[in-house]
Amino acid sequence: MAALIEMREIVKIYPNGVVANDGVNFSVDRGEIHALVGENGAGKSTLMKILYGMERPTGGEILLDGQPVHFHSSNDAIAAGVGMVHQNFMLVPSFTVAENIVLGQEPLRNGLLDQAEALRVTRELSQQYGLRVEPEAVVDSINVGMRQRVEILKTLYRGAQVLILDEPTAVLTPQETQELFAAVRKLVDQGKTVIFITHKLREVKEISNRVTVMRSGKVMGVVQTEDATRESLARMMVGRDVFLQVNKPPVTRGKKVLEVHNLSYVSETGRTMLHNVSFNVYGGEVLGIAGVEGNGQTELAETLSGLRPAATGTASVNGKAILNTNPRTVRLSGVAHIPEDRLTNGLALTASIDENLIVDRYFRPPFHRGLFIDYKVVEKQSADLIQEYGIRTPNGKLPVKSLSGGNMQKVIVAREFTSDPALLIAAQPTRGIDVGATEFVRDQLVKQRTDGKAVLLISADLSEVMSLSDRIIVMYEGEITGVFPDAASVSEEELGLYMLGIKRQTKEEMEAVL
Amino acid sequence: MKRWMANPIVRETVRIVAAVGLALLLGFIITLFVSEDPLNAYRSFLLGPLTRLNRIGDWLEESITLIFLGLATAIVFKAELFSLGAEGQMVLGALTAGVVSLYVPLPPALRLPLALLAAMVVGFLWGAIPGILKANLNANELVSSLMLNTIALKIYEWLLTFYIKPPNAGYTASDFFPKEGVLPNFFPPIPGLEGVRQTLVNQTNLTIMLYIMLAAIFVVYFLMYRTPFGYELRMVGINLKFARYGGVDIKKVIILAMAVSGIFAGLAGAHLAMGIHTKLILNITFGLGFEGVVVALLARNNPLAVPFTGLAYGYLRAGADVMERASDMSREMVLVIQAIIILLVTAERVLPMVQKRIAASRSNGEGAAAAAEGGSHAA
Ligand SMILES: Nc1ncnc2c1ncn2[C@@H]1O[C@H](COP(=O)(O)OP(=O)(O)O)[C@@H](O)[C@H]1O
Ligand SMILES: [Mg+2]
Repeated sequence: MAALIEMREIVKIYPNGVVANDGVNFSVDRGEIHALVGENGAGKSTLMKILYGMERPTGGEILLDGQPVHFHSSNDAIAAGVGMVHQNFMLVPSFTVAENIVLGQEPLRNGLLDQAEALRVTRELSQQYGLRVEPEAVVDSINVGMRQRVEILKTLYRGAQVLILDEPTAVLTPQETQELFAAVRKLVDQGKTVIFITHKLREVKEISNRVTVMRSGKVMGVVQTEDATRESLARMMVGRDVFLQVNKPPVTRGKKVLEVHNLSYVSETGRTMLHNVSFNVYGGEVLGIAGVEGNGQTELAETLSGLRPAATGTASVNGKAILNTNPRTVRLSGVAHIPEDRLTNGLALTASIDENLIVDRYFRPPFHRGLFIDYKVVEKQSADLIQEYGIRTPNGKLPVKSLSGGNMQKVIVAREFTSDPALLIAAQPTRGIDVGATEFVRDQLVKQRTDGKAVLLISADLSEVMSLSDRIIVMYEGEITGVFPDAASVSEEELGLYMLGIKRQTKEEMEAVL
Repeated sequence: MKRWMANPIVRETVRIVAAVGLALLLGFIITLFVSEDPLNAYRSFLLGPLTRLNRIGDWLEESITLIFLGLATAIVFKAELFSLGAEGQMVLGALTAGVVSLYVPLPPALRLPLALLAAMVVGFLWGAIPGILKANLNANELVSSLMLNTIALKIYEWLLTFYIKPPNAGYTASDFFPKEGVLPNFFPPIPGLEGVRQTLVNQTNLTIMLYIMLAAIFVVYFLMYRTPFGYELRMVGINLKFARYGGVDIKKVIILAMAVSGIFAGLAGAHLAMGIHTKLILNITFGLGFEGVVVALLARNNPLAVPFTGLAYGYLRAGADVMERASDMSREMVLVIQAIIILLVTAERVLPMVQKRIAASRSNGEGAAAAAEGGSHAA
């Protein structure tokens, strides 16, 4: 059987000289779910943008149903039945869901948009593919998961037979991911073909029929999913053995570093997001905070790091009060912080790597001497850290935004780990980054702990919390509902019950182990 | 795409040259329709400023003002602060420099530095006000700086009319500054070249302000790119949340940025008073304060590019003057041509700033610079 899509010897050289695709052969059969995996920067998005007519290949050819095609724009691709949902959504925020879906091919009545018809087709599509949306809601007001479903419906409305989903799960909660998978299966049942980009190998195993692995702009292999293991795929992606298990040597717990007592936080809109939270973190331990996102973890990290004011309570690091001060004071008290939202808080995207690495230290020697910042020292530090943390870049002068997600995170990690903190707050430290970088960041976190630092790990990835932590606490609706002094002896299911608020320990039970 | 186009400096230059070329062409087409003698009119526009020594002088003098203003504006814009307060700071700079020149009985070696210093201090303080209002009350700097401009202008007019103007004078202006209060010509009195110097003194008002301007360019450059304050300024401009997260004192940066910017606007005022007019007159700034925005935008807020854009923009204005005087073209036509050039050259630069602003105000005015950047991350 001839492949539905065949891309042959695709080469793409960007104007800045980056060779994003280097002789790529890629083929997809009709009706399959084809996973395209690779680390950040491997060239996956580029290849798909070429297929979708958004980028012109520097060389190579594309066959659709055996016929050569030349897409000059994504409109050509859509006309040929190829649709794509991007990593960054492209909806009009002030329009309703239905309006967004029909935008570009609006049903008209008397020359105006036929609202009723738009709502009708939206409902019909939504039903047909099991993609739950609220047709009349304004896009601005709906959550990320629904926005994504709107994007998918929009491509279906335009008649897509082949759907390209670029890292669709990066922004989803586990429940939403399951919902998406169900919808994807339904699409395929109804005759569609899906190309699914990801770098989460667990998802590859779960959803796909076949996998193409890319690395550094080249295809490293194409395998049937059932013949692959996560380890074998990871090895292909990264080019060496990857240890998905973290190696955690035993250490004895040190002295109390962070002490939090009765911390509460009330949001600007008056909601209590944290309610009388108390716990301690000791040197030489990773305290993991498990919980479904949105249960106060973000607020906890940000009140402790000085980015938000607390309503009540106290917190101290090695005896120094840090609550309701400011980020500089908190940092000078020995706190480092890997922020949850690295693009908003953690980096200045258009500033150089060099300058991103000094935001917590530019005012001190050896960086600051006399009137000036000593940029020789800055560059030296940067070169050392790029080397030591394996940040993939030709030099530190490039803007951070030229890096892949994983390498951006390494910049943050390099900065925060080298500030010699007593306490490290790591919020979602491996979210959205590739296997190699994830392994690296996790190893580094454990290394900090083994060196006697206190680590507060906040992660929505339950397996991450379980494999890295020494102790675990569970947060639910802004409160601590469970404390597990030995992370190794608790099961995923048990934690799940606390995370969903089905079980909770009494105050006495918790105090006994805290 | 050709390889050499990948070089940002080349690309930038090509773009500017293309924009200016296109605008000049459009301008010429307009002239063809409007003027009886379009060739001559356009020649006076393009070459006029170079035809006589005094015209060259006019061009360079105004460019000095523009360059000071461009530096002032670049500083605030670099922090993504939309302060338009240079006009008011300049007026007060002119006022204080003028008052010192007129009334402080000191020899030139002391009086001149004191006058310049006074203008800088007043610019600093007047600039700090909208900064303080923004940092503490979150008052929009655009609005407050514009209001302060009006206040400064009124203070100037009031003092000039009722206190500084000689009682018997028929027009609203001060006396000419005494010799001790006028800046010396930039050309040093070299023995044997007295004739050259005299010609320059007679035909131009190019003073030692030229050297102060050159120094200012380097001061601003080093301030921006080599000092901790400059680092803070730039990080606040790129991503305010990042700066805050890293421990930068945002309020301090906002206030200082606006105040330091005022120093250079104050110097522009001193240049007007002590270099060009050598007396205080009504409307001494001619609204020049806002032209600093164009100079800074063209220079991408880079202090080392400001002298070039200042000279280029000054040339355009000088050419317009000559054309207006030497042909049947009205000033308005000339302004249209200028506007086309500015539009073509700056459009690409203003748009992202406006987008950023909108994104920032959407996320509750917290200045989410990253919102505009978020789309471009390479993940
Ligand atoms: N528009 C662009 N201009 C220049 N370089 C780009 C552009 N888009 C991507 N790149 C570079 O091309 C390479 C591949 O990127 P991409 O296709 O986005 O990878 P992936 O989707 O696998 O993470 C990276 O090095 C990236 O920095
Ligand atoms: Mg990608």
